[in-house]
Amino acid sequence: MRAPVLQVENIVTTFPGSRPGSRITACDHISFTMNEGEIVGLVGESGCGKSTLGRSIVGLERPSSGRVVFDGVDLASLSGRKLREHRRKIQYIFQDAYASLNPRQTIGQILDETLRVAGEKDARRRNSKIEMLLPQVGLSGEIAARYSRELSGGQRQRVSIARALVMEPRVLVCDEPVSALDLSIRAQVMNVFLKLSRELNVASLFIAHDLALVHQASQRILVMYLGRLMEMGDSETLYRSSRHPYTRALLSAIPDPNPRVEQSRKAIVLKGDVPSPMSPPSGCLFHTRCWMKEEKCMHDIPSLFEGENTLQRSACHFASEVPARAAGLLSGS
Amino acid sequence: MGRLKEFLRYPRSMPRLATVPVAIFLAVAVFGPMLAPYDPAAQNLLAVHQNPSLTHWLGTDKLGRDILSRILAAAQTSAVGISFVLAFALTIGVILGAVAGFLGGLVDEAIMRVVDVGQSVPSLIVALAVIGVFGTGFWIMVIALALAWWPGYARISRAAVTTVLRQPYIEALHVIGASPWRIFFIHLLPSAAGAVLVYATADAGAIALTIATLSFLGLGIQPPTAEWGQMVVDALPYLEQHPLEVIFPGLALTLVVVGFNLLGEAIALNKTPRPLPRRLLRLIRSEQLREAV
Amino acid sequence: MAYDQPLSRSPLLKVQSLSIALYSRASKVYAVDGLSYELEQGETLAIVGESGSGKTVSNMAPLGLMPVGVSADIRGKVLFKGEDILTCSIERLRALRGAEIGVIFQDPLSALNPARTIGRQIAEVAELHLGFSHTASEARALDLMKMVGISEPAMRMRQYPHELSGGMRQRVVIAMAIAAEPSLLLADEPTTALDVTVQAQIIRLIKDIQSRLGMAVVLITHDIGVVAGMADKLVVMYAGRVAEYGYAKQVLTRPVHPYTQALLNSLPRDTDLPGTEFRGLVGSPPSLAVRASGCAFSPRCHKAFGKCVEARPSLFDVHEGGLHTSACFASADAELEVGV
Repeated sequence: MRAPVLQVENIVTTFPGSRPGSRITACDHISFTMNEGEIVGLVGESGCGKSTLGRSIVGLERPSSGRVVFDGVDLASLSGRKLREHRRKIQYIFQDAYASLNPRQTIGQILDETLRVAGEKDARRRNSKIEMLLPQVGLSGEIAARYSRELSGGQRQRVSIARALVMEPRVLVCDEPVSALDLSIRAQVMNVFLKLSRELNVASLFIAHDLALVHQASQRILVMYLGRLMEMGDSETLYRSSRHPYTRALLSAIPDPNPRVEQSRKAIVLKGDVPSPMSPPSGCLFHTRCWMKEEKCMHDIPSLFEGENTLQRSACHFASEVPARAAGLLSGS
Repeated sequence: MGRLKEFLRYPRSMPRLATVPVAIFLAVAVFGPMLAPYDPAAQNLLAVHQNPSLTHWLGTDKLGRDILSRILAAAQTSAVGISFVLAFALTIGVILGAVAGFLGGLVDEAIMRVVDVGQSVPSLIVALAVIGVFGTGFWIMVIALALAWWPGYARISRAAVTTVLRQPYIEALHVIGASPWRIFFIHLLPSAAGAVLVYATADAGAIALTIATLSFLGLGIQPPTAEWGQMVVDALPYLEQHPLEVIFPGLALTLVVVGFNLLGEAIALNKTPRPLPRRLLRLIRSEQLREAV
Repeated sequence: MAYDQPLSRSPLLKVQSLSIALYSRASKVYAVDGLSYELEQGETLAIVGESGSGKTVSNMAPLGLMPVGVSADIRGKVLFKGEDILTCSIERLRALRGAEIGVIFQDPLSALNPARTIGRQIAEVAELHLGFSHTASEARALDLMKMVGISEPAMRMRQYPHELSGGMRQRVVIAMAIAAEPSLLLADEPTTALDVTVQAQIIRLIKDIQSRLGMAVVLITHDIGVVAGMADKLVVMYAGRVAEYGYAKQVLTRPVHPYTQALLNSLPRDTDLPGTEFRGLVGSPPSLAVRASGCAFSPRCHKAFGKCVEARPSLFDVHEGGLHTSACFASADAELEVGV
């Protein structure tokens, strides 16, 4: 069993709140690992901290505590050039592909610069690399002469992926890479992504709010809510028999395109809105909206790492009861 | 620099009329002295204070020098002076502002406090102070004016840099591991320079006016080099008998200042001072519509 | 919901061959090209499309709600309760908007005035369109807030938009839209900006209000799930043109147009295991600056043949005597052609 390529240990990332002196905890002691070639999905709604977690891993945010261990090396122990060299192997795909590409540079120039930063000094070699890179993401060579404005959303996102690949990364963090794209063209980007992670053995963290999408792309899924991990486990198992009431609600929100089915099915509809990260609930963060809430949930914080089941982890005091109670609710009691 | 080239290539992107006065000024500054009918320094004590005639289109001054030639020469002096002042002020301002915006923290605070002080003192006072300490002379005047003007540019430069820094594409550069030097020099400085250049073009008129004012006070361009302010002060004693000698240089100065102001307004109103190739312009427009659809 | 058209009563909203060209300083875009549909009182019609399909413009332009700097050239008829709103005066249009036709925009934050309390904003609608007095409109605002499910309405009335969550704001926007009890509600992507767990709440709310007030709803969306949950009828738009039209239950379960089929195919299915290849379309939608002479979808269509490029397909009946039509040569029976 090879060592995981990325280990995230107890990451805590905070931001200043709107009230002076207050802080918002965007990521509250998040820990997980990623293995080579694995696609891990990270799901959650607004304010859950998934973007912040992604950015903390890549170095765009600085965690206030915790470690990011890449290939056995604690990144916090490095600095300057050594840190940059290691960081290059962890790449990032932005949600807004357009904003992540310099509007004043052509695609070719953007990729050329990336190659130069990667250390390729020979201009001809850079050119031939660009010519090889673009078809790998399904784009034609003539894209290199265009500006990002001239490309469609799907093409821009594929350029982002090409740029990330220049660095030959071992880890790829993708923050909502297809959320801004039309439904029918998401496949263009998703399939490139799947193919590359298989062929190049890149470990990918796929961040999104669409659980159905994440389920189809990932081998493992992490569910976040208000900065904490609620559930973690194998994708298919989580999808079919989740043991957390929040995940169950997310699953319930996935619609069925058949109107007869959709209009007659019973769904778990949560009451209220996601609490503001500025005033998180006590005990279990989810208890204010939980359909299984008990007295205990208001005071005791459930741990993700309790219980015998080490593969499917759920931060719920009543995790083992969730499947049965969900079934009961949905069958129309 | 690339932006300036684009700017010159696509004049149609800005209201053309606004560029005309400045264009004339620059043309005169470059070619004027060559076209001048007389040597601007050539005195002819037999033909002093002459009215405009066919031999001297704008007349002669108190020493018999041809006014037209002097005005043309003064245009060049002005342009040279403005160019040097801008060169120094822009260099100092853009770089300091960009450094402040990029590094933030104490460096930012320190630089911006200096900028605050610099901006709170009127430019003329600054110039007078420097000249008072170091005496008169062309280069002292240039340095004095540069010191007066750089704070404004620094502020704009810093604003441009802080805006660009927040853009995802700069974050993307961090992620691929670009060194801070690269990000600063290749990506931030050009945006800062571009933003400042735009305002600087409008500012040039104020610089021209200040040079003229200093020369009027005898503290700027020294005789015999022709300069409009200087010509005005020379002709002032003869205002009643030979008003044209004051009016012509004054008019020239006014036209140049107004011309630069018009240019500045046109730029401000246009809001997109960087003209884009027409192909892109069309694409942008249709994309805006597409998004609305 | 009957399949036969009532002969005695004309539909609440009847759109006939609506075509909209948008002009800005430098370019012209054919945003909508021949859109027709009918909506009865109490019915919900969804207009589904992706970017550049024309779905938003088709509803905003006739109401005069276009962004600044863009002018529209509108042809065809939009009959609301028999009155053609394309030819009526601006005052009449304003009177209709708010009183008879309520609008919900996509981004609740930009639809609300950040400098006024939400109570005031809702009350204002009642004052303006129902002629209520100050106190009466405040009372109405309170009622509306309860109706849309805003918790602690008395306290929230004095809050400002930025103090509320996204879901709350959308509820406020809905309250404002229905304040004057309109007979028609236009909802432009009402759930897109909201969290997944809140979307279902808002859909339920709209349906609830709809049945209480007997409102008809035109729902503009790209989210097929929302359509399945709410719509009676469905218009699928592509490149400004109607691709398919019919009752939602038919179109969504037995789509005929290749675009609709591709769209539905793109949705992740329950049976898709992790690692399954994703399904979708290649290429991108055409530029609306050019009016395609043939079928706009043909470049991306796997069923396209010669005729598709030469001529523009009109809407053909899918079954005889039903509402379901599709603009496609490959799936049409030529003898059952219905004019656009």
